[in-house]
Amino acid sequence: MIVGYTPGRGFLHRAHPFTPFALAGAAIVWAFALPAPTGPALLAVVLAAVALAARLPGALGTALVMAAPFWVFLLLIHWGFGDTPGRALVVGSQVTAILVAFLMVVAAVHPARLVDALVARRVPFAVAYLLAATLQAVPRLRERARAILDAQRCRGLRVSGSVWNRVRAVVPLTVPLVLGALAEVDQRALALEARAAAGVRHRTPLAPPSDTTGERVLRWSMAAGAVAAVLLRVLW
Amino acid sequence: MTVRLDGVTFRYPGAPSDAIRNISAACAPGAVTLVTGRLGSGASTLLLTVAGLAPHATGGTRDGVVETLGHDPASAEGRAALAGRVGILFSTPWTQLSGMAYSVSDEVAFGPANLGWDRARIAASVTRSLALAGAAHLSARDPRTLSGGELQRVMLAAILAMEPEVLLLDEPTLELDAESADALVALLPQLAEGAALLVATTDLDRTVDVADRILLLDRGLLVADGAPADVLGAERAVVTGASTAIAEITRAAGCPPPYPLTVDAAVRRFGE
Amino acid sequence: MIALRLADVWFAYADVPVLQAISLDIRQGEAVALLGRNGVGKTTLTRLVMALLRPARGAVWVGDRNIEGRAPEEVARRAAYVFQHADQQLFARTVWDEVAFAPRQQGVGREEADAVVASALRRVGLDALGEAHPYDLPPARRKLVTLAAALAQRPRLLVLDEPTQGLDRVGTARVATVICGLVEEGVAVLAVTHDLGVVAEAFPRAVVLAEGRVAYDGPSRPLMLDGERLAALGLAEPPLARLSRALTLPDLPITAADVAAALVDRCRALASRVSSPRHHAEP
Repeated sequence: MIVGYTPGRGFLHRAHPFTPFALAGAAIVWAFALPAPTGPALLAVVLAAVALAARLPGALGTALVMAAPFWVFLLLIHWGFGDTPGRALVVGSQVTAILVAFLMVVAAVHPARLVDALVARRVPFAVAYLLAATLQAVPRLRERARAILDAQRCRGLRVSGSVWNRVRAVVPLTVPLVLGALAEVDQRALALEARAAAGVRHRTPLAPPSDTTGERVLRWSMAAGAVAAVLLRVLW
Repeated sequence: MTVRLDGVTFRYPGAPSDAIRNISAACAPGAVTLVTGRLGSGASTLLLTVAGLAPHATGGTRDGVVETLGHDPASAEGRAALAGRVGILFSTPWTQLSGMAYSVSDEVAFGPANLGWDRARIAASVTRSLALAGAAHLSARDPRTLSGGELQRVMLAAILAMEPEVLLLDEPTLELDAESADALVALLPQLAEGAALLVATTDLDRTVDVADRILLLDRGLLVADGAPADVLGAERAVVTGASTAIAEITRAAGCPPPYPLTVDAAVRRFGE
Repeated sequence: MIALRLADVWFAYADVPVLQAISLDIRQGEAVALLGRNGVGKTTLTRLVMALLRPARGAVWVGDRNIEGRAPEEVARRAAYVFQHADQQLFARTVWDEVAFAPRQQGVGREEADAVVASALRRVGLDALGEAHPYDLPPARRKLVTLAAALAQRPRLLVLDEPTQGLDRVGTARVATVICGLVEEGVAVLAVTHDLGVVAEAFPRAVVLAEGRVAYDGPSRPLMLDGERLAALGLAEPPLARLSRALTLPDLPITAADVAAALVDRCRALASRVSSPRHHAEP
């Protein structure tokens, strides 16, 4: 499972940071606005193909693993309650498409380049940093959760077996996670101040994101495509 | 004076007592100054106060005068004037990562970029500080794959890259193995040439050889300020448990003070 | 009685070999220090012992059991582990409840559990802080809370990762005393450490890892006194052993008590010279 930036050289990595975001934004709109059931299903397939072409098989794999329980749940509902099969396909495709789009963006956009791009558009550094850091928070939380699980199991905590075992494991696992995250926020605040990240006025972009006319056109057309899909949906 | 403290008292929010009390001292480049005492004596707090992080980032209340490079480092005006000019390194390097860099050189460039330097100056500074910290060979690595010792050197470089005039190191050798720790300690005299250097440490066995001056704290009070042999060799330091293993053992064996601090000093003393 | 046996253990992270052909026996009542450079695989070895990692090849025995296929919580019935950083395990509202976690988990009766917790807290010197909130304590104290929590597991094998890191001399001496006490009761202790001072005090045997293999396994005393060998293994000679050698003290003691005892006569001579300096200066 990979959630977070993964260094690479695919076209989404090389693109201006806003372009993958535009793609993800449009994908979310399309997932709901395109005519069902073919629209969302086709969208999921296209996005999966984009992920592969952008050399992000890890992000695609993670998205599929995360979408799998939804599929199981939806199909169960379909068979158990006699819902139309088309409905399960539609919702499953929507969830899959959104997950692929989101994880692809998180994997492809270098947080520092995103910050630089946002700062270049006059977004305050603190806001840009917070956004980039949030997108990268998952891997750190996972790592920490793993360490806590290890520590408590070494103290005899049973995490498998009965439901009762699992319920009792919640407090020893979540309290250190939350308190640890809070402590880390404090330490990080100190550390960031120490590195002149508080009150930044003119940050130097280290690798200024290059934006081409082609990419700009692409972003606008994706936005237009999203609007068009909504209009079609509303007016049809 | 680069750093001047006059009657400084600090208390953390919600704490029942002061972390440091009525401390007056001054510090300038050219000397390795160790701030020491038993754990919890206030050495780290003293550094945070000089940096202005206490009370600005930690909360709490401060009394007295702190003057760092002519500014109050906790005031809004002081923080703007001092950005990047006061470097502080903590014992846990991984909590100091920017979280935005996937190569060591980008990590080191984070601070200078925040200062808005032009790219040529940043590049030169990154190269120079990585070399100084003994981390030049790591520049292309992903910081998340480094060992604690390597990461500590990288974070030192990250601080040095901002060309600080005041350098504060808080238990810098805590997470390091013997070789990495010795390498860092050996660097201290050179660092002290370019900046006013304060090192909070309880690892006196390792650091006392390079120290020029000791500030000894006991429960928040500055109880001694002077040359290592005078401060740490005195009864008071050894009794509080803030001296070297050699000083402690010679006292335990019934030697008269001043106690020798190092093996070499002990050999001289017993050879008289 | 064997407390821990590693038989030809190999381990790699992805393609990077970490441990190669490690074989090691630790008996009950034996304290072993695990030494070596940062990143040499010391912590990895201890994680293999607790079944947090699985060896690629070879077997790990805790007590009389091969732990292959066992979960960490099963290994925890015989072995306790104190992690390097306390913050990944503290969760309870009071120090007492934190330490009582393991006995409760083991289903020990109320009265017995209370006795176990009280004794564990007394051992680490925190008996007055049972009602404190763990996160209100300074890091050094928190570390002692995790040690007490491990003691309350009543392990036959105690595994420690850097137990004295971040402690001052007083705290370190406390940890050394705890370890010596456990060893007397027949508990086996394996500790990863960079602190050769505590090794001299509490660990008669040392195992040094270098390049993924066991580079030294034997009594710690001769190793402490061999400055060149220590340096080659990335270790720094502890100050007391160095003093002992520099002054050629009789029997080359390395513990604080022994070195102090060996210095008493010299110190007395010094003291008499200091108290009556004129005696020597003027005939």
